Amino acid sequence: MPNIVACFKWVIDEAYIRKSASGALDFSAVDYKISDYDRNAIEEAARLKGLHGGSVTVLTAGAPETAKGVKDALSRGADQAFFANDASFNQLESSQTAAILGEIIRSRIPYDLIICGEGSSDQYAQQVGPRLAENLGIPCISYVQKLTIGEDGRIMVERRVEEGVEVVEAPLPVLVTVSPEINTPRIPGVKDTLMASKKPVVTIKKEEMQAVGAARLQTIGMTATRMERNCEIFAATPEGIARFVEALQKKGVIS
Amino acid sequence: MPGIWIFAERKDLALELLTIARGLASQAGMKVTAIVPDQGDQADIYIAGGADEILLLSALGEDMSLDAWIPVIAAEAKKADPDLILLAATARGKDFAARLAARLETGLCSNCIALNREEDGTIVMERLAYGGAAVQQVSCLTRPVMATIPPRTFAPAPADHGRSGEIRKLPPPPSSPVRVIARKTKERSSQDITEAKAVICVGRGMAKQADINIARQLADLIEGEVGCTRPISEELHWLPDDLCIGLSGVQVKPDLYIGLGVSGQIQHVTGIRGARVICAVNKDENAPIFQAADLGIVGDLYDVTPNLVEELQKATSR
Amino acid sequence: MDFKLTEEQELIRKNMREFADKYVEPIAVEIDENSRHPAEVFKKLAEGDWMGIPIPTEYGGAGSDYLTHILAIEELSRSCASTGFTVSIHVGIACMLVLLNGTEEQKQQYLLPMAKGEKLGAFVLTEPGAGTDVMAATTTAVLDGDSYVLNGTKTFTSNGPTGDVYMVFAWTDKAAGRKGMSCFIIPKGTAGMTAGTHFRKMGLRSSQTSEMVFKDCRVPKANLLGKEGAGLVMAMAGFDHGRVGIAAQCIGIIQAALDESIRYSKERVQFGNPISKNQAISWMIADMATELSAARFLTYHAAWLKDQKQNFSKEAAMAKLFASEAAMRHTIKAVQIHGGYGYCKGAKVERLMRDAKITEIYEGTSEAQRMVISGNVLR
Repeated sequence: MPNIVACFKWVIDEAYIRKSASGALDFSAVDYKISDYDRNAIEEAARLKGLHGGSVTVLTAGAPETAKGVKDALSRGADQAFFANDASFNQLESSQTAAILGEIIRSRIPYDLIICGEGSSDQYAQQVGPRLAENLGIPCISYVQKLTIGEDGRIMVERRVEEGVEVVEAPLPVLVTVSPEINTPRIPGVKDTLMASKKPVVTIKKEEMQAVGAARLQTIGMTATRMERNCEIFAATPEGIARFVEALQKKGVIS
Repeated sequence: MPGIWIFAERKDLALELLTIARGLASQAGMKVTAIVPDQGDQADIYIAGGADEILLLSALGEDMSLDAWIPVIAAEAKKADPDLILLAATARGKDFAARLAARLETGLCSNCIALNREEDGTIVMERLAYGGAAVQQVSCLTRPVMATIPPRTFAPAPADHGRSGEIRKLPPPPSSPVRVIARKTKERSSQDITEAKAVICVGRGMAKQADINIARQLADLIEGEVGCTRPISEELHWLPDDLCIGLSGVQVKPDLYIGLGVSGQIQHVTGIRGARVICAVNKDENAPIFQAADLGIVGDLYDVTPNLVEELQKATSR
Repeated sequence: MDFKLTEEQELIRKNMREFADKYVEPIAVEIDENSRHPAEVFKKLAEGDWMGIPIPTEYGGAGSDYLTHILAIEELSRSCASTGFTVSIHVGIACMLVLLNGTEEQKQQYLLPMAKGEKLGAFVLTEPGAGTDVMAATTTAVLDGDSYVLNGTKTFTSNGPTGDVYMVFAWTDKAAGRKGMSCFIIPKGTAGMTAGTHFRKMGLRSSQTSEMVFKDCRVPKANLLGKEGAGLVMAMAGFDHGRVGIAAQCIGIIQAALDESIRYSKERVQFGNPISKNQAISWMIADMATELSAARFLTYHAAWLKDQKQNFSKEAAMAKLFASEAAMRHTIKAVQIHGGYGYCKGAKVERLMRDAKITEIYEGTSEAQRMVISGNVLR
């Protein structure tokens, strides 16, 4: 009966980010969500628990407002949560996140399998999973699309690579990062959400951990993407379309 | 002597990385080292492409995966202390890079799309964040600086056959608990849209699967290929995944891109920014695609496309 | 004063929005067109505990509060007002009637499966000659040994053809006037109770509505809900609960009308500009957004009073009156904004407008709400 840890990040829902007239990013009306692929990670943990028993622990590092995300994660089939909570934790870089998660797992959570999303919806750096595996000194299998746990305590997975799929086998404990193809995350029911508030949450303050190392990457700037081209608009009339085709010819993209 | 290292699993990727490495090395007078699988006489190609030193990785056993080399390269990097390590941002490459960075206790800029050396020697790297809505600029505070570069971000390095370089073999990888037991090659779509000169992209404005023929007709006319946005492949499964263009799909660089009913979500637009001419047909004049386009038609794709096909036929037959 | 929803309420609302987007929105046009009860959706609603949110867990519900139920109805109605209404009348009236008035046995036998979503509840009061004037009803229930025998014809019964458990009102003592009506829980299949074929309605078409005919329908004494003669009081309290649900349904309708109007007015170009740049249009949208907020606050306040165990009869009537009339006003405006396209089948606003009309009529007409409100304030 495997002990499974699913890691997640509570991120800004990018659908709510607006761009101001000056080109700066406007975060004034944002909402948060569990990072998309981390939902798949939690779902996979819950699915495996359904098959094999064991336990599902969700784990995150974030700022205090992540508490809502912890409830959201717990409503998706987890038994308990560990939450590294500090106001500064909304600015963590992948290496720091991996170090924090690694320390908590090593010192507090027995595990056989750790599941992370392949990358976060906000940064999509795709580093926390692999770095966490290195931190814990366990094998890492990334971009997993299908996962089974065998009788012998080994897992067999299909992972996405450029040419297709690699079928890979490894002994537990192991860390996997999962791709969205692996499952369809549930929509929690009302009771799931209400019961989530009653599940144990261990909140760990920054002071209770070894010093969180300095960031290794420094963000120098963050600007709204400039993709603007000077779009010339043509009417959807026969004449407009004829002029559109002429414009294509002038640009030399059709012969 | 410290310098710039590149590592990629395939030749085309390695040559792209060499383009960046050679550019930076010439500014800073650094040595370029290519770490590549030992596959016959390919070392010469990399030397011609700009490498001063080749570190050959011994062939992997059938059941070993690429990451078996991580300890070998990590050990070598600890000894040689390079300034910069560049890897290709393929699925394997990104996983590989993150784990190598963890072992070297350094930072890693994932999916780096631009890389510049400041006067003081700082490497400033750019990447996209928030699904492509923002450009993030980062620098690395530790050594070595590491970055993964999305395939086809840079042109492959041209060959200079007059160059010379050293070749050295690295020790074989240790055994790994991870075993590859099968490899399935996915069936590729007939054509590779990343190489196409023209791409017709279908988006959510397409009402049903059969209507993709409208796009196909247009594509055939201008000898292009049909691609799609993520909802079309991932949610509706109307087209295979490898035709999905965008941040988490493929990046295309055609001469001509025409989006039919593509709204222009930032995740998609990120995948077409390299196109020479971007055109859009959408009935929503506020669709973000028009901000990213050179030419646009505000109208229903079902009305516009047949007219467009007709006009193109006239134009190309002239 | 605290206008903040709890974290749980926010998450539950978000989950319902996702549910509605995924399972309801894609079929909303079809079930309207075919006047079809989407049984597959109700199965999923049951699985997610959406069919008994404010009912305690020991009776099969989710054990949450009324406001949370209201948020769910709002989000569901945003995709499909019919589906939202079916849940509303099932929970707000049928389940609440048994919860508030039933014996322990009745709760176990009838409320539990209803709150779990295994059985669908219906409310059977209106008669061909007795709408707002409930006293004009003619259906009778006569005690005969250990059972009551019901005779009469009811109409406009929501969930009539699809219901499993019916709350039926009939005179046990017509001479006693307001204290002469009683309520009976009658399960589907009881001999003598038949549901007619469902009506072809202008809107709210996937909600199933029919006549209910009682012909020597024999109901055991144990199925009397509450005390004999207490029916009318219970029905009025049921309406209080139901009306907050209708108000929530209206908020969902207005929100959908607003979303559609914003989207379309920015898309539609006339005289070289999107029509949203025209003050005539942008002011319509401003009014729509304003009255949506007003309706929302009235509705949440009524639900909050209910959760605080305070009297909310007047507030429920106000919320229902304002929200339903606002829904009608603004869905008409939304069709106007959409022009000819809005008048065609397939345009969401066309359905919203048809669906909105009934909200001014059922569970007490606007006129009946004004009677309740004036009765309260002129006291």
